[in-house]
Amino acid sequence: MRNYREENKDRARKMGLIFFPAFDWAITPTHPEREERLLYTRDQIFEEGLMDLPEVEEYKPRLADYKDIARVHFCIPSAESLVTEAHLIAAGSTLVLADAYMKGEITNAFALVRPPGHHSMRVAHGNRGFCNVNNEAIMVEYIRRKYGIRRVAIIDTDVHHGDGTQEIFYHDPDVLFISFHQDGRTLYPGSGFVDEQGGPKAMGRTINIPLPPETPDEGIHYVLEELVLPILKDFRPQLVVNSAGQDNHYTDPLANMRFSAQGYAKLNEMLAPDIAVLEGGYAIETALPYVNCGIILAMAGLDYSNVREPDYHPGRFSMSRTMEANIVSTVEYLQGIWEAREELTAKAVERAGPFFRRHKDIFYDTDGIREKQTESVKMCPDKSCPGYMTIDTDAARGYGHSESGFGVFVPLFACKRCREEGREEYEAHKTDSRYNYIFFQDKNADDFRLYSTRMHNERVY
Amino acid sequence: MLIGIDVGGTTTDAVLIDEGKVIKTSKVPTDHDHLLECLMGALDEVVREVPTDKIERVVLSTTLITNLIAEGKADPVALIMEPGPGMNPENLALEGEIRIVRGAIDYRGREIQPLDEDQVEKAAAAISERGYRKVAVVSKFGQRNHSHEERMRKIVLRTNPEIQVEMGHQASGRLNFPRRAATAMLKVASQDKYRQFAEQIAEAVSKRDIAAPIYILKADGGTLPLETSVEHPVETIFSGPAASTMGVLALTPPDQTSVVVDIGGTTTDLALILDGVPLISSDGARVDSQLTHIRAFAVKSVALGGDSRVRAAGDEVTLGPERAGPAFCLGGPEPTPTDAMRLLNLISIGERALAEVAMANLGQDLGCSAGEAAQKVVDAAVEKLLSEIEAMFLAWELEPAYRVWEILQKEKIRPQNVVGVGGGSLGLVPLVAERLGVEGIIPEDAAVANAIGAAVARPTLTLTFRADTDRGFYTVAEDGTTGEIRDKKFGQKEAEALAKRLIVERAERMGISEYASEAEVTSSEVFNMVRGWSTSGRILDVSMQIPAGLIPEWTGGGRR
Repeated sequence: MRNYREENKDRARKMGLIFFPAFDWAITPTHPEREERLLYTRDQIFEEGLMDLPEVEEYKPRLADYKDIARVHFCIPSAESLVTEAHLIAAGSTLVLADAYMKGEITNAFALVRPPGHHSMRVAHGNRGFCNVNNEAIMVEYIRRKYGIRRVAIIDTDVHHGDGTQEIFYHDPDVLFISFHQDGRTLYPGSGFVDEQGGPKAMGRTINIPLPPETPDEGIHYVLEELVLPILKDFRPQLVVNSAGQDNHYTDPLANMRFSAQGYAKLNEMLAPDIAVLEGGYAIETALPYVNCGIILAMAGLDYSNVREPDYHPGRFSMSRTMEANIVSTVEYLQGIWEAREELTAKAVERAGPFFRRHKDIFYDTDGIREKQTESVKMCPDKSCPGYMTIDTDAARGYGHSESGFGVFVPLFACKRCREEGREEYEAHKTDSRYNYIFFQDKNADDFRLYSTRMHNERVY
Repeated sequence: MLIGIDVGGTTTDAVLIDEGKVIKTSKVPTDHDHLLECLMGALDEVVREVPTDKIERVVLSTTLITNLIAEGKADPVALIMEPGPGMNPENLALEGEIRIVRGAIDYRGREIQPLDEDQVEKAAAAISERGYRKVAVVSKFGQRNHSHEERMRKIVLRTNPEIQVEMGHQASGRLNFPRRAATAMLKVASQDKYRQFAEQIAEAVSKRDIAAPIYILKADGGTLPLETSVEHPVETIFSGPAASTMGVLALTPPDQTSVVVDIGGTTTDLALILDGVPLISSDGARVDSQLTHIRAFAVKSVALGGDSRVRAAGDEVTLGPERAGPAFCLGGPEPTPTDAMRLLNLISIGERALAEVAMANLGQDLGCSAGEAAQKVVDAAVEKLLSEIEAMFLAWELEPAYRVWEILQKEKIRPQNVVGVGGGSLGLVPLVAERLGVEGIIPEDAAVANAIGAAVARPTLTLTFRADTDRGFYTVAEDGTTGEIRDKKFGQKEAEALAKRLIVERAERMGISEYASEAEVTSSEVFNMVRGWSTSGRILDVSMQIPAGLIPEWTGGGRR
């Protein structure tokens, strides 16, 4: 199997950058996700002259196709009505960089774009945690489809648990998802605990590292050094993606961590992601200009030691003994999970029976939607087949109005039998009047269909 | 009557224009060590027997600054730089004597670290000691708050009053601090020699009893009165390529999209005119190896000309990049594209028999006849130009954009015309146009298009306005003007009105106030600043400009 990560390592260093601040797009005029968010970042990185550096190549964004979205999401009522042009551009930016990276034009890339995406799940009824569609997932599935790679690692470094990305790849043994974040008991979205470890066939491929509030650089670098990097070494991904939130910063207004611009730059140097995609980060003056400057310099292989916030000095934040003990024990526990992933997988598959089922309640904070889901995954006897999945969804917007749907998802590396059964399920549900929308996703055939049971029409992507 | 004079690399051309017609032209060889004499020689030829009181305007384009810099004859400059937090200043691509001092201003113009005045004093003393008499003082975000640059200037002057000091914010207020530093250094390095030159010109012209105003052409195709141009010497760099683009604009029908192909001996300059407006490079010009903030047309220089060296490589030919000397058919040493064009009767200069010899020799290496060899050379030249033209349009389409509407509206544009100027264009431009399926135009006065372009260009002007109502001040990027804003309700309407007033004032200072009413708003943006849960102020950005264009007196090129 070709390992683009290895191949790209020895090329002359050049990072690809798309800066898309969407200066004419906001969720609402005073929402954190507004025009002003990257304004001071623009000032800082342009004033530094970073775009002129021979180590930096600036690319122009493009719009993603609706098909790129359908490759990941079951959008209700449709992708066209759920995403704005700004979302298509943010997602499209990651695809431009993905192509440039895969073709070897650049050694690594940073999509410094908004709006973000990592809270968007497979089924999307609206905006959750400022996200409509999942930029990283759209990019990963695009790359896997177009360039035939299989093993991908996504490291979510946002302060919030990357619950959307986790959910999309939960049953995929070829996608390693690692998220470190402020403990879900103290922060949105209230998930990302150590016992969320992946579906039965992908145990240990989801690793959640909840960290105590006020964890400084030192704590996150410890996690990286002791847990994340060794796991990556074992997993040998063909592509490493940093889902790069900037809200671990000590001045972020929506969270409580103690990370600095130096810490972020060093994180990217240590992790050496192939492609980083911006997620959250709302300290638009005190953090973002410095954090982004640091990340760009680190990814371009340049000295970032002179990047610092005006009120920062080394040693400003330190860890208490209790905090250190807490992090060490989390890391030790997860090391054990990783080591035991094969046994855990075998046991979980055995326990699940022919189908693995779970119920989920999902809340869309931004749009005020309450969704109920039942997810069902076939425990295919073929060991290398992840099995097809169905999701039964019902979402209530406010009081009284609700939309329901049934989605069938056939993964990229599914066996022939699962592909056939998946298609049969889709056909059979077209006449099921309990649902408003039926969705079919066959990643292997790159065939995506949305059927409206009220209008009796099918949209093929 | 209008006069345009263009000092080119090989010849200096002048034209006299009356009522939309070129009535007289002249050409003299350019002597780079005696530019004034060349200019006056060309001028004298066109004004002979013309009553001087009929002359309304004299416009010059000159290579003075380009040559000063290329030949390293500009004055040595030291830089005192306050980089603040960010990239390691050691990694900046700036050359020369650089002293780094502590202190910092942030993106909103707030002081985040006081200037270390002791360090500035020591730097100034050392620089003075080493004999520098020109210094640039530049602070990161100095355009948003001048106080540290002003302070540095005072300290340098206190150390040695004879030193000439240029502050970064006065050279340019655009974002990009390394470019600002480079621009400030070039400005102070070339100012004295340029002033001397300008004074000599003014004197020489007045000796000829010509009382008409004298203008100088800038790299962005705009004119500037000679007396104010001494404050902006580096903006006159690259006025040659600007002149040829303005010439094409003058000689083709209005509002069209054209590729300008200026084929010289060694290189071809390509430029784009989109719907009648020459394309400006979104970043500033590159001068030598230095990136600057100088506004210039997006001109692409291709190493291919009429005198390019032609070589056989297997059964293919390679062209350039170096010059082979004059064409063989004009007595030169080797075969050139000019010889190929001569043999195929695409042009009529030179001895056809000699061209045949040159192509027969080349044909021997290629294993084909003289005629086939000539065809290969011409085909290779046309292919090269086509691919460069395509790449230019692509680069324009792929320019980064930061707003949703910009991504949505940028369409694919292809030219209506390919317009040739310069010696080599006659033979190649029609072929390039044919391949593109568009009209090929060689204007009647193509040989002096540059001088025509200079004669009929109007002034250009830009204004980049930013207001920060939370901090209560505004800045103008171009010249560092700042002022207070007391009105907390200051909004978009007020910002645009203020920007309009400022551009009128700026036009007056530049001596081009009669054109101020042409200024248009090119973009206007408002950012609500939300702190906590309420709006604490606004950032308002307004850009205005007078784009490159032609004076209304020009009625040629199909205008009536």
